[in-house]
Parts: sequence; structure tokens; C-alpha cells
Amino acid sequence: MTTFAPASSASPSLDRARELLAAFPVVDGHNDLPWALREQVRYDLAARDIAGDQSAHLHTDLARLRAGGVGAQFWSVYVRSDQPGAVTATLEQIDCVRQLIDRHPEDLRAALTAADMEAARAEGRIASLMGAEGGHSIDNSLATLRQLYELGVRYMTLTHNDNVAWADSATDEPGVGGLSAFGREVVKEMNRLGMLVDLSHVAATTMRDALDASVAPVIFSHSSARAVCDHPRNIPDDVLERLPANGGVAMVTFVPKFVLQAAVDWAKAADDNMRAHGFHHLDTTAEAMKVHQAFEETHPRPVATVSTVADHLDHMREVAGIDHLGIGGDYDGTAFLPDGLNDVSGYPNLIAELLDRGWSDTDLAKLTWRNAVRVLGAAEDVARDLRSRTAPSNATPEQLDG
Amino acid sequence: MADLQDELRTTTEVGAPDPPAAARPERGTGPRSERARRAPALTTETPVEAPVVPADVVQRAHALLAAHPVADGYSGLPKALARLHQYDLELGERSMDTDVPRLRQGHVGALFWALHLPDGPGGDRAVTAALEQIDLVKRVVQAHPDGLRQARTAAQTTDARNCGRTAVLLGPAGATAVGDSPALLRCLHALGLKALTLAGVSWAGEAGLTRFGEEMVHELNRLGVLVDLSGASDATAARALAVSRAPVVFTRSAARALRPHPANLPDELLLRLRAARGLCLVPLTAEQTGPSVRDVADHLDHVRVLAGPECVGLSGTYDSGAAHPQDLGDASCYPHLIAELLVRGWSEDHLALLTWGNVQRVLRGADFAARAAQQRRQPSTARIAWLDG
Repeated sequence: MTTFAPASSASPSLDRARELLAAFPVVDGHNDLPWALREQVRYDLAARDIAGDQSAHLHTDLARLRAGGVGAQFWSVYVRSDQPGAVTATLEQIDCVRQLIDRHPEDLRAALTAADMEAARAEGRIASLMGAEGGHSIDNSLATLRQLYELGVRYMTLTHNDNVAWADSATDEPGVGGLSAFGREVVKEMNRLGMLVDLSHVAATTMRDALDASVAPVIFSHSSARAVCDHPRNIPDDVLERLPANGGVAMVTFVPKFVLQAAVDWAKAADDNMRAHGFHHLDTTAEAMKVHQAFEETHPRPVATVSTVADHLDHMREVAGIDHLGIGGDYDGTAFLPDGLNDVSGYPNLIAELLDRGWSDTDLAKLTWRNAVRVLGAAEDVARDLRSRTAPSNATPEQLDG
Repeated sequence: MADLQDELRTTTEVGAPDPPAAARPERGTGPRSERARRAPALTTETPVEAPVVPADVVQRAHALLAAHPVADGYSGLPKALARLHQYDLELGERSMDTDVPRLRQGHVGALFWALHLPDGPGGDRAVTAALEQIDLVKRVVQAHPDGLRQARTAAQTTDARNCGRTAVLLGPAGATAVGDSPALLRCLHALGLKALTLAGVSWAGEAGLTRFGEEMVHELNRLGVLVDLSGASDATAARALAVSRAPVVFTRSAARALRPHPANLPDELLLRLRAARGLCLVPLTAEQTGPSVRDVADHLDHVRVLAGPECVGLSGTYDSGAAHPQDLGDASCYPHLIAELLVRGWSEDHLALLTWGNVQRVLRGADFAARAAQQRRQPSTARIAWLDG
């Protein structure tokens, strides 16, 4: 009676979590696989075939998505904001996602609408959507925004780590103090298209301005609660409180340096170390990872756990309500992850933890699937209405912001 | 219809109008003297050049165009419309050469809308310009649902025409729009791009196609995007003719033997085009073809003889800023040209190929080559540094 399987796999909660996820799988708001493929193998998809085991190189492959109970993924078409050629690079990222979908038709299904997401769930395929990460991807052009929508992009984060001319980032100095007039026009045009306004990465001022400007529900594709861990990438309570009225959803992220205070401090030191060695602090190439590992040997990394993330969800639930939560892991976009959530197969551990904390099946179905699908559907409804009443905008920053 | 007129409309792009027919030296070569032999009675007795086309011939031209509308290979509308604050193509837009009523009058069944890119190197500037014009074309098409319909394939083009709409095809765009990125090409194709001009980039320069350039031609073939060689260097044109698995097009090229314009094709290239079953779309511009309907017809005759009746088509080049021959001033004028060709003895079969059939064949060829290529080729991930190093 002494040989037991590891506690986790024998846990009744974990089995229960897997059952729940089979019915209402995870809609994940943010996965940077396309960027990892660009950086590691320059889009040679055969060299990092996600049909096989890629655990040596990536957080993501098809088998682990399946094991993790993922039913829909917003693939990030992120590009660097500190280099020219953002539009070109964004289109290359979009092409990468389209190719991934084409290569794996049994597992991935292109999804453009909430109905497509439901259809994918019914077929047992993973609905594949796209999200652009940063307003730099449209180069101040609303026509370009519309063509990104045409190509399948269904959310745009208004900024990445740097300000754009019309919106402030959480991790940059205050610029226009939230959204400029053109920034509000971008939000309006996104509403008209049915592209979700994503407020991860933006400054709190921008969050508030966007909530004022948007007539459709907004999302936070990968952000946690600032009251639990004080990092600018997280969402302050006054913003979370506005989600019920807006109808939007905050998708909790796992990134330790945003969710665990000790990790926040550690990450700051690690980033400084990366820059000191001449790398971009988000670099995840082999050489950069070596530098990172050397740092880690001398400075033990504070470890976040499933419970850290659950603490955020408990708090966000208190403030925003169960109808306004979701999950956005940021896999393949961050070097480290909490214990138990090490790759995309980890979601059941989080669900098991929440079951142990007394979350009901209905609550969990909302968290994993229903809220995110509802929000995309609501954005479509708003778009149908706006398109029937308003014309596409061709405003420019020069016209509106002078 | 072709009215009697005492003087030629002056053009801005060329010098003095051609001398009257009677005083003009006979150019002596094939098509022209052939025409003179075939239809001597139809040249006018008066010294002014104003061919009297019998009314029944004009009627025949209209009837023929009703059955075989014009597939026009080049329109400058995207750039021209971008300059206007307001326009209504449905009711008529007098500041333009093209609007829906005149497209109907001219029996234009399909129209390529060229994307105009800023001069100089590509990069985000060119990409954004292309995206903005694609956006504009889509908005215009959506705003005129009774007149226009976007088409991406041969089948959709025919379908639009059968629904009484003018099919709008996106392109040609200069290759700077896709820069050095096959992925970018795939995205623009996904947005509807149907023709790319191989000029203005390092991989399709004066020296011809580089290895990367050939890879891009393969990718164009795989996608079903037409390879446009008007404005390409002779070396690029020659290599693309050899490499492309789908018929290539020259969206704006006439005969260099008749008029020495750099975009016009030398006879030898026309012969190669015939062998490759490509398509030469003859522009209706004073600069490239000449100031009168007869000059355009001369070019068409010449291209038909050398490249063959299956390799010649029409390219209005309206709204591109070019000056047009007399009586071919806007998109409604195609019947004048067809009447002239009827007078010259073009058979209805050849005219049907000229106006519609050949463009359809090339579009179908591109679609077919794409389906075949997609069975054996993966999307290209080539980078210019790997191939052209």
C-alpha cells in the first residue's frame, strides 16, 4: 500500500477538472507560438512540428493543448514595437497562423466568430483565432486595421510595452494621458468591425478611456489583478469594477513576474541582467536563455504556483464577478511559468485548484469557455448594428490629434 | 459612336497628331497593308482622318460586346478615387473616366484595379499603401453593389458578369508591395490580390530574376496570382516567361515595332509570348499606342499576327492619368474600337477572344496551375538572404 501514483494525478479534483474541461474547454486569450516559431526557426514549421512533441523548445504543441483541455486559442500575432516594419511583420505572423491551421486541419479550425468557436467545440477541434498585440501593428492607418480584420484578427491590444502616438502603455512614461482623439477613433472603428478592444499592456488611464469610448465589451487578453500583485501590467480594482457594466472579460495571466510580488522584484533584476548582456529582455532564443540560466543559478527564482494564480482569480471574481473572468496564459511569450502551469497542458491543475476552493461547475464553465465566447458574440452584435448606421472611418492622427 | 470630326483632339503626352491618312507613309508591314488590301473601300476619301463606320457595324459591335464583354486589364481608379472626397460611381462621376453607367455603355464585364504604390523602396510604406488601396477598393465595391462585384477567380469573374455586375479584380500591384516576403504575398492574395508586376525590387531588376525571384514566381503560381510583366526589364520578362507555370500577362504593353515605348514589346518577345500562351493587353493610351482608334487597331493587328489571336487583349488604362486616343476617351468607348476591328475584318471569334475569352483563359490557367501546385508545393518560407545571399 505504499506505491501510489503522484498525488496530483490521483486527485479526484483533477479528474473532475478534466471532465469539466471536456465539456467546456479553455478559451485562452494569448499564446505567442507564432513569435516563438519566427524567432526559433524563422517559420520553418516542419522544424518545430507541433504535431510532435516540442516540449524541449516550446510551451505549446497539439498533444499538450489537448491534454490541457484547450478548445479555443487566440494566437498572438505580436511583433516588436521597437523596430520598423511592424505592418510587414504582423502580416508574416498572420500568415504563420494561417499556415498552422492549414497544416493541422484535424486539430485546428480557423474561427472568426463566436459561432465558429462553438462549431469547433462541437467538432472537437481547437478554434484558432488571432489577436494583434499593439497599435503599432496598424501604423496609424484605419484601412490597415480593417484589412487585419479581413485577414482574421479578432482583437487588438491597443499598445505593447511602448506607447503608441495615440495610446499610453502601462510600461512606458505617460504620453497622451490615456487615449487621444485618434485613439478613441481606433476604438470606435474596432467596435464597428467587431474586433475586440484588448486592454492588456495599456496604462490604467488608457483602460479607463477605452471603457468610456467602447460601446462593445472589451477584453484583457492576459492580465491579472493589481490588488493582489502590484505590477502595472495588472488591472486595478476600479477598472475591474467597470467590467459588469461593459460586459467584458479579464483573462487572468500566469506570468510569475506579474502575479507574484517576489517574482516581480526578481524579474526586474533579471531583465537588467539581460540588457547588461546585450539582449532584449523578452528574448527567448537559446543564447539568451543561457544568460538567463546563469543568472538564475546565482539568484534562485521565486516560484509562483497554481495557487498564486487562483488567488488572483478569487480576487477578480470578488470585484468583477464570475461573468467577467477568463484565462490568458501567455505561453511561449514568457520564459518562466508557475509550478503546475509549466506548459499548455497545465490548465486542469488550475481548474482542480479552483474546484478545491469551492468554485461550482457553472462558475468554471463561465471562466473557461462561456464568458469569452459571449464577449466575441457581443462584439459581433455591436458591429452589425454600427455597420448598418455608420461608414468606415478614414481619419488620421494628423486630422484628430493635430 | 464615331462621329465625323474635323480635327483631332489634342493630346498632352505626344507631339503633333499624326498626318491625315492619305498623307501618311504606308508602314508597309504585314497587318497594315493587309488591312489596306482587305478593306480599301472603307478608307475615307476626305483628307481628314475620321473613318466612317457604318451604323450597322457599330450595332454589330454592341451586339458582340453584349455577348463577350470587355475584360479590361488596367484601371487607375484606386489612386484616382483616393484623391476625391466624394464620388458616386453609380450615378456617374464626370471627373473620372470610369463610372458604372459608362462601364455598362462600354460593355466592360471585368476590370483590373491597379494598386498604386509610392515610388522608392518598399517596406511598411508600400505595404500600408497597398492595404489602404485594397481597403478602398472593397469599400467602393460595397458601396456599389448593383454595379460592381469583387472577383478572385475566373469562375467568380464569369459569375459577376452573369449577374450583370462588372467584376473587380485587385491588381496589378508593383512587387514592392510584397517586398522580399512570400508571407506578405500570401496575405495580400488572401485579401484578393490577383496580379503582381515584377518590377521595382532587387529580385526582378535589370539583370532578370534572381533565384529568390524565381521562387517568388513559383509562389505566385502556387497562389494563382497572375505574373504581370509590363514595366519589367526585358531580362526579367524573358526569365519569367520561361519559369512561370501559369500564363503570364503584360497588363499595359503594345507593339514596340509600331511605337518605341519602353513598356511596349519587341516582336521577338511577342513571338515568345505566343509560344508561352501568355497575354498582351494593349493599352488605349496616346503615348503607347497612338492618338487615334486606328493606331490602337494597328497595334492590335500587329500583336494578333505575331502573338496570335489567343494572346491579345485590351487594357483601358483609364483614370491612370494617361492621355487616350481620340474617340477612346473613357470607359464607354470600347464599341468604337470593336467597330474599327470589325471593319478591318476581325472575325467574331477573334473579337470574342480579344475582349473576354483570353483574359478568362489566363485567369483559369492561373487558378488551375495554383490547384496543381498546391498539391506538390508547400508555402514558400524562402528568405532573400538564403537564395540571393
